[in-house]
Parts: sequence; C-alpha cells; structure tokens
Amino acid sequence: METITEQKFQFNPYSPIMDSDPFPFYKTLRDQYPCFWSDDVNMWILSRYDDIKRAGVEWETFSSSQGNLVDELPGRSGSTLGTTDPPRHDRLRKLIQSAFAKNNLMHLMDPTKELVTEVLDRVLEMGSFDFVQDFSSQITVGTLFAMMGLPDEDHHEVRRNVILSIQSDQETRQKGPEHIAGFKFLTNYVEDIVRQRRAGPKDDLISRLILAEIDGDKLEEAEIIMTSATIILAGVESLSSFLSMMAYNMATFPDARRRIAADVSLMPKAIEETLRFNTSAQRFKRVLTKDLEMHGQQMKKGDFVMLCYGSANRDERFFRNPDVYDLERNTRGHLGFGGGVHLCLGNMFARMITTIAMGEFFTKIPEYYISVEELNWNPSTTFRSPVKLPLTIGK
Amino acid sequence: MPQITYIDSDGNKHQVELPLGATIMEGAVQNDIKGIIAECGGSCMCATCHCYIAEDYLDKLPEMEEEEDEMLEGAVAPRTERSRLGCQVRISNALDGLVVEIPQEQ
Repeated sequence: METITEQKFQFNPYSPIMDSDPFPFYKTLRDQYPCFWSDDVNMWILSRYDDIKRAGVEWETFSSSQGNLVDELPGRSGSTLGTTDPPRHDRLRKLIQSAFAKNNLMHLMDPTKELVTEVLDRVLEMGSFDFVQDFSSQITVGTLFAMMGLPDEDHHEVRRNVILSIQSDQETRQKGPEHIAGFKFLTNYVEDIVRQRRAGPKDDLISRLILAEIDGDKLEEAEIIMTSATIILAGVESLSSFLSMMAYNMATFPDARRRIAADVSLMPKAIEETLRFNTSAQRFKRVLTKDLEMHGQQMKKGDFVMLCYGSANRDERFFRNPDVYDLERNTRGHLGFGGGVHLCLGNMFARMITTIAMGEFFTKIPEYYISVEELNWNPSTTFRSPVKLPLTIGK
Repeated sequence: MPQITYIDSDGNKHQVELPLGATIMEGAVQNDIKGIIAECGGSCMCATCHCYIAEDYLDKLPEMEEEEDEMLEGAVAPRTERSRLGCQVRISNALDGLVVEIPQEQ
C-alpha cells in the first residue's frame, strides 16, 4: 500500500508567492535546508547570514564572472562591475567609484530637493495616487538623469524598458522576448549616448568611462555600454523600488511613520532598518570556482549558487527578533546593499536621495494608507517590489 | 599583543589588545567601537572605516595604496594628513600604544 509522504519542500523563485512574500520560505531554508538544491532554478540556495557574508568576502570561490542576476541579461557577464571579479573589477570600480562618493554627490542635493517639492505638490493635489508611478520613479529617474547628464525627454521610455529588463517570465522560467527587447533598448540607448560623448566629451560619467584606461588599455565598448546600462537599471529600478518598499513599510507600521514624521532626524535609522527588513534586491547569483562542501552538501565547481540577502537579513542567528521592524535596532552588518567587493556602488547615492525624498514625503504626508486589498508584485527572481503602490492620503 | 586605544565617535576611550595581523577596522568591529561601519567588510570599497591616526605613529604605518587614496577622497568626514582607512592598516608590534580617533561621520 502506498503511503502518503510529506510533500517535498520546494524553493521556486519563479512562483508569484515568492514575489509577494518570500520570507516564510527563507525561514524553512535557514532552519532545515541551509544549503539547498533547487530543481526549479537549477542552483544551490544559501540563506543564512554567515554563509552569505562569507560568499561576499570569498569572491575567489563565489565568482561573479558568469553573471550576478538570477536570470542574467545577454551581454552583461564579464562587462559590468557586478559581473567581473577582482582584479579587473577593482580597477573598473575605481574609475566609477569617485562619481558615487558622498562628497561628489552633494551637488545633487538641491536639485533633488526641488524635484521632490515639485512632485509632492502634484501628489498632494491628487489625494489618491500610485506611489511608484507618481512619486518614486519620478524622483529616481529625475536624479539619475541629472547625475548622468541624460536628456529629460527620455524619462518615460527609459523607465518602461528598465522595468521590462528586471522581469522574468513565470511560465518559461527565463527572460522572455519582451524582457530581452527592453534591455536591448537600453543598451542601444546608451550606445547612442556613447557615440555622442565620443564626438564631444562632457564632464560626466559616460565620458569618463570612454576616456579611462586600465593598465594602459581603454575600456572595451561592451564594458562602457553594459556598465552604463546597469547603472541606469539600478539607479532607476532598485532605488525606486527601495523608496516604494519604505513607503509600504510605513503604511504597515504607522507608529514608526508618525515618529519619523515628527522627527526626520530618524530617517537614517529608518533607512538602515528598511534595508535590513525588506530591501528590493533580494537575491543574487554566483558560480563556484571549486568544489565546496557546506552543511553536509557537496557542491561542485561550476555549480551556480543563489545568495538570499533578504533571508540573511532575517536570520535569527544574527539579528534578534528579525521579523520585527524596529527603528531602535542596531542594524550594523545588515546585507541590504550586499557586502564585500561587490557592495552596492550606489549605496551613498541611494541613502542621500532616500533621506531627502522620504523625509519630505513623511513630513508633508504623515497619514496615508494603502488603497487596495492586495498588491501586484513584479515577477522577478532577483528583485522584490510592487508593480503599483496605490496610496490614499489621510487616516 | 599590541595595545590600541580607540576614541569612538562620541569621544569615549576604549583600550583593547589586538592580535598581530588584525586590521584597525576588524579590531573596532570586534570590540563594538561606535563610529566604524565597515560596510564592505574590508574590501577597500566604501570608506566607512575612516579613522584618524595619532601623529607620532604615522611613519610606522604601512604605505598607502592608490585604492585607499582614492576611497579616502570620498570620505564624509574631512580628510587630513592623519586619515587612513582602518581596513588597510594591519597591527604590528610597532603600533603598540597607538591611539585611533573615529570621526563623527562615515
């Protein structure tokens, strides 16, 4: 007689439930399967804080050279910061790093404040609005375009294609033609800008990449294009999604929101806790450069490994009461921006823009609520963010 | 083991002993010294372990590499002659008695 066996645990990052709420799955992974092979995505899944932290430091074993997005986009591997290893990574990063250093971002503060005021005025008039469309993406596209010297009239088209680029098809479990086409649009777009900057260099990031040399060699065309496209992707989507997650959290935790609205000096704490609690970049990928045993599982050279940053940040082995959003928490060591050599290049940029944008948002709109019962989440194996976040001002 | 004194970002003094070969950043993180963030974990990628080294020890430090120099340019607190990234300075016997000051901002 057949017996009913316990249903096998699955970890399928293509399922919609993973987009909306991956945290219960993470907990099972951490507690029962700390090194888990997922047939659904054909890679090992690491979920505990210590393991993810280690993978970030041991870049020689956990290599980024075959892509870092769970579903990689064509042409990126080996041509961007996130998809190369040291030493080339370090040299490429050095060229770009200074543009993202805090003291080189100060000139963006006043224009960002102006933009936030303008966008908030419109939102206040609307009363009910979509935070993603009407607020967060307006801010991030605006500031990123200002930083990179890109023309304002391209905002809409660029953002639309950025969104397509980060999505995956849930049925076929890979990037669909529309997602590839979205990314192709972005790379063609950057290619045009590169051509213009070659003809007439300006004082901006793309010109700097064109003129730069590493060990006497110019950067390859693909490196310039893929790196710039990735910065646009991250600057527009990761940051916009982060703002959205923060607005979402504060709708869910009104006490924290009211404290911030009354005292915006709490913003840095709120930012760090949001990065820990549910940042938008949930999962990234590495490839093993040698055989490795972890938690009794034998992994092989060439195997892909998924690093669940969003799980590490909820690991009760590292954070006390990790599922509680706590403004008073010591968040030191959180992996909301990753860690190690691939620590998010834009971390200072993101913190600065968020402090200005959300500080002003909570001050002007201390009371709001989510106007729908259920949110639609982006189908993405790497990022987690709502497609729309409909909000209504008031209690 | 060499003795190091940290003055944290609130101005409080902490005297600790550090093993040879540890970095100033690691010593600060392990002893929970306020003001060192060390977000990138010692990869010289974030400038959040910026510290000021006591003047009389400056010539006993390992030489600064170009990467550290570049990162320090992006540090939040003012860069001075005494500025170093804690992750790039390893403890040696010559550093016994060193005083390290942590800036208020990283």
